[in-house]
Amino acid sequence: MKKENVANKIFTGLLLLAFFLGTAYGQKGPKDKFVFGPLNPIKMPKVEKAELPNGLKLFLVEDHEFPTIDLWAMVRTGSVFEPIGKIGLASITGQVLRTGGTKTKTGDQIDKELDTLAASVSTAVGTTSGYFSVSVLKEDFDKALSILADILTEPAFSDDKIELAKLQQKTNISRRNDNISSITNREFGKLMYGKDSPYARHTEYATIDAISRQDIIDFYNTYLHPNNTSIAVWGDFKSADMVNKIKTALAKWKKGVLSTQPWPKVSYDYKYTVNFIDKPDVNQSNIMLGHIGGLMNNPDYPALNIMNFILSFERMFKRIRTDEGLAYSVWGDYGASYIYPGTFSCGAQTKSQSTVYAIDIMLKELKKITEQEVSDEELAKAKDGYLNSYVFNFESKSQIVNRLMTYAYYGYPLDFTERLKAGVEKVSKADVLRVAKKYLQPDKVQILVVGKKEDFDKPLSTLGAVNVIDITIPAPKK
Amino acid sequence: MVRKSKTYFLSVLFLTVFVSVTLSAQAQTFEALVKQVKVHTLGNGMKFIVLERHDAPVAAFHVYADVGSANESYGITGISHILEHMAFKGSKVVGTKDFAAECKVLSELDAVYDQWKREEAKATPDKARIKELEAKFTDLEKKAKDYVVNNEYFDMMMREGDAGVNAYTSNDATQYINYLPSNRLEFWMAMTSDRFLNPVFREFYKERDVIMEERRLGLETRPTGKLFEDFMAVAFKAHPYHHEVVGHMSDLQSITRLDVEEYFKKYYGPSNLTVAVVGDVKAEEVFKLAELYFSRIPSGPKPEPVRTKEPEKWGERHVIVSAKAQPYLLVGYHMPDAKNKDSRALEALANIIGQGRSSRLYQTLVKEKKIAVAASSSSGFPSDKFPNLIVFFAVPAAGKKSAECLTSIEEEIEKIKKESVTEDELTKFKRTAIKNILNQMTSNSQMAALLTYADVVLGGFEKGLEQIDQIKALTAADVKRVAGQYLIKTNRTIGEIIPEK
Repeated sequence: MKKENVANKIFTGLLLLAFFLGTAYGQKGPKDKFVFGPLNPIKMPKVEKAELPNGLKLFLVEDHEFPTIDLWAMVRTGSVFEPIGKIGLASITGQVLRTGGTKTKTGDQIDKELDTLAASVSTAVGTTSGYFSVSVLKEDFDKALSILADILTEPAFSDDKIELAKLQQKTNISRRNDNISSITNREFGKLMYGKDSPYARHTEYATIDAISRQDIIDFYNTYLHPNNTSIAVWGDFKSADMVNKIKTALAKWKKGVLSTQPWPKVSYDYKYTVNFIDKPDVNQSNIMLGHIGGLMNNPDYPALNIMNFILSFERMFKRIRTDEGLAYSVWGDYGASYIYPGTFSCGAQTKSQSTVYAIDIMLKELKKITEQEVSDEELAKAKDGYLNSYVFNFESKSQIVNRLMTYAYYGYPLDFTERLKAGVEKVSKADVLRVAKKYLQPDKVQILVVGKKEDFDKPLSTLGAVNVIDITIPAPKK
Repeated sequence: MVRKSKTYFLSVLFLTVFVSVTLSAQAQTFEALVKQVKVHTLGNGMKFIVLERHDAPVAAFHVYADVGSANESYGITGISHILEHMAFKGSKVVGTKDFAAECKVLSELDAVYDQWKREEAKATPDKARIKELEAKFTDLEKKAKDYVVNNEYFDMMMREGDAGVNAYTSNDATQYINYLPSNRLEFWMAMTSDRFLNPVFREFYKERDVIMEERRLGLETRPTGKLFEDFMAVAFKAHPYHHEVVGHMSDLQSITRLDVEEYFKKYYGPSNLTVAVVGDVKAEEVFKLAELYFSRIPSGPKPEPVRTKEPEKWGERHVIVSAKAQPYLLVGYHMPDAKNKDSRALEALANIIGQGRSSRLYQTLVKEKKIAVAASSSSGFPSDKFPNLIVFFAVPAAGKKSAECLTSIEEEIEKIKKESVTEDELTKFKRTAIKNILNQMTSNSQMAALLTYADVVLGGFEKGLEQIDQIKALTAADVKRVAGQYLIKTNRTIGEIIPEK
């Protein structure tokens, strides 16, 4: 009885105190309960879709805040389709399409004309897509569009600019071992996909030398068709006007044979390997370890997303960076791509003297996530973080229209973002453990270390038989 | 993250001209601008700038502390960047299980560290004593760790949907960034005021290790990182742009927790902080909450400005970095700070000589002579609150040498000194400047960065307007004049990577 009274008094006292503090100051502490008012609704912009007679697909969003117009397009092609002896062909084609001029103007004239307008028109070919883009003040859009139309339909592929592109490629080859991080990424990719895989192979002097002007023209003729292309446009225009403008300007871009070539397959043998690249001039090792990853359209992708957050932040970051002070950047991520498997990788860069120690911790954390359920707290933090920041997927109109176009290009449902959110909402601790067990194989990772072995804390051989990778650049033919 | 934040000077200005931006339009800009951007200064000197933007229910929060590596002196280089990291370590409330107990251990830990380092520094150190102190230190560090809630600040922020919790340090500033759903405004106020009011620099010695790894990653293992460090050290003999933002390794190994506390007290008080909030918020609400949460931070004097000015140069300087890497050329000339009117003409010069595929360097070195695969120039390097550099870069093509590139760069500079620039080139610069501003203004976060920069470095966003006017008024003669005045040999530093055999 007495005790209760005391407790009551204390309670009343606290209430009064809180009331007093509340009126006097009113601040909340970071850990007080916050009740958040409703968020203003997401304003979904109206995305107009159109398909022109030549098969070109358009996605348009009006955005009148600034007097600019931007356009970004994807063309179904990619360096994965270039012949093995001519690696670099796709990239050079993408570059010289823009730099090599047209029937009526040289590339240099176009450069000057666009620069003077502060406008940009660019073209490129990446691994699984070609791109082109325009970015202008709206008053210059017609001029830029007309240049783009000429580039797409009557490119000159001048010898001079082909030569320049090849020189740039060769210079890149000569410089590719200058930076430890580029060595690590490149060679890890080869361990994952195979050194000759379209997803990992790279240029050599010989493959650049083998590329002729005719190869470039053939590559262009094979893939650069309007019916292979989707365009996203956003900015200060009226959609109906814009459709007409593009239709008129690109009417001369004629339908071609649709590219239906399948994306190359990836085959992967899970195995444990230890690989080393000698870089005697550095004081920090670059470490990556992992195996093949997956696709974004995997039904387990939402659970893998949550697992990635926990593995990267809750485990790798907190343990290796915060507790141990071993690295600045550290991660663990089951990578997924649209149409070919990504890579699962854990990585860190640590001083030479803690190389093997850091790898040991990474492997332990990796094993742990496949053996034990994550905690309620970890799951809740990961899901809340994902769901509360979901609104940032709709921050700008350009982001929304580009995302839709990209989904369409890769054949994903246009509401993929919404589906992912619905999936994340349902993820449980059991799901996280299940996908970790299913997709991660801690005993069959390939470890790559680039660094100065004399300074390692322990020889890499303590991890297993070491495969030394030679990265000497094959000399150019004289 | 150490980032050389090179904010575009014109910053804020075009804020308003949403409707029609052409080179001639703008006069009505100023009033509209003043109407949109709202400013409120607390009694303790802390300034809040708000731009309401209701497109999406999110907001960007940008805290700009007017202190960077240029405020550091010998012995504490890198300390601003350390404070960037330490801001995430929490407060008396966030990041701890029992602050009172933790605090005691942290004091003991500092004392032991001090004894340990003093013993090591003796002419004849007592090895046994060092070992004993080191063991004691390790033990206390573990004890302190038991009280820590690992990364609780990050946890709390990210859990509320922070999509970009981060911070940057430059030569001029330390900047803390959050992106939150806009209904988390008060939560941000509570978290942020708490960490500026009651910061606790826990896990300090481990975080120093992390920063040393960051230095190795960003600078020591990269040939261009090494070049930039030596280049700046030679270009500036006295002014603190001399040292890299990340600091010298020996300082990182020696800076203490007490150093950090003192530095924080001196430079991170409310009179030295400017906050911009851009997004789906109401300015009045922001100011009301700012009063409630931030005015309780005691005011202090605005810190003394940086004393050292770069003195006169007695001749050209040349630095060579020997590395297992291909050649690289960097040429810099001293130029004035952002507020100086000549900086506009030098910005134009950098644009005309080396920005874009039609620029003179790209046209000559890359397209015509094919001696480089990339060539460009940039003004306001590495930052622009203080007099800085206009720099020229060239990446020599395979088999070519830096010397050939240098000769060509010199020729291009001399041409401008003699013949000036064309009207087309000037137009290109003016239009590009405006296009760049528009591009930056599309995002809440960049807008917030611009607002704080303009306020702190230029002295107010209306000053930015003056800069736009200065740009519009630029003539070819101005560009020619600054080329002749600043791009002279005694004002020059050359840096090169020469491949090691």
